[in-house]
Amino acid sequence: MIDGLLADLGNSALAAGLRGSYWAYPALNALHVLGIALLVGGILPLDLRLLGLWRTVPAAPLAAVLVPSAVAGVVLVLATGPLLFAVRPEDYAANPYFQAKLAVVACAILNALLLRWAPGWRRDAGAGARVRLAAVLSLALWLAALFCGRMIAYY
Amino acid sequence: MAMRRMVSAAAGALLGMALWAATAAGHHGWRWTEEDHVQLTGVVKSVELGNPHGIVILDVGGEEWRVELGPPARNTRAGIEEGTLVEGMTIVVIGHRSADPAELRLKAERIHVGGVEHNIYPDRD
Repeated sequence: MIDGLLADLGNSALAAGLRGSYWAYPALNALHVLGIALLVGGILPLDLRLLGLWRTVPAAPLAAVLVPSAVAGVVLVLATGPLLFAVRPEDYAANPYFQAKLAVVACAILNALLLRWAPGWRRDAGAGARVRLAAVLSLALWLAALFCGRMIAYY
Repeated sequence: MAMRRMVSAAAGALLGMALWAATAAGHHGWRWTEEDHVQLTGVVKSVELGNPHGIVILDVGGEEWRVELGPPARNTRAGIEEGTLVEGMTIVVIGHRSADPAELRLKAERIHVGGVEHNIYPDRD
């Protein structure tokens, strides 16, 4: 069933168009990288701030800039990722780094949502053990996702 | 102090991952292949020329080899287009095989189709 769906996706006109394209595929790739840059580039400094770095900078205004920027990055990677996947669905689905990346990204998004629902994380006084744990997880998960993503091409 | 240790541990882990990535057997480039050239003669079973790079499945005396071509722009420059390689054709492929001897995978530098040479990497010997 899954095999059939993957084959159908790979045989779709969209996938065939992207496979044959000179510019569309590299452009999509570049947009995916831009999404990763916005996402990791926003989350990393925020996590480090929650872990106690740059204590003189208030967390709330920092979050007001970096959270929307990182969310824009998530939207961009989620919009471009499936299109890149469609070009060679069977190969990517069988790639252990791709499988690991999907699992890690799911955990990282869940971690971010759980932290968001935790009260008072933007307040400097609120950076308790709960918030610090989420920040460490966030750092580890997003860096792992980035690394797994890069390794897809090296399997 | 604990915080500083945590930050340096994270920096260390990141550096470690970067070094691992730099030394890993890359799929792109030639690092995953052997030094010596290999020549294969086989029958084309399937062809896909598109992004991110072309793949030809070649039947070489009953062994199924995965032959990797270039990205679309490079294949076109080498004169390989849709229809150049067709299922059932016998072709000769010259390139470098995977450094893993158990893996029947070859990165093609040149292919010969019906007496015509297509040089995918003319800048390589």
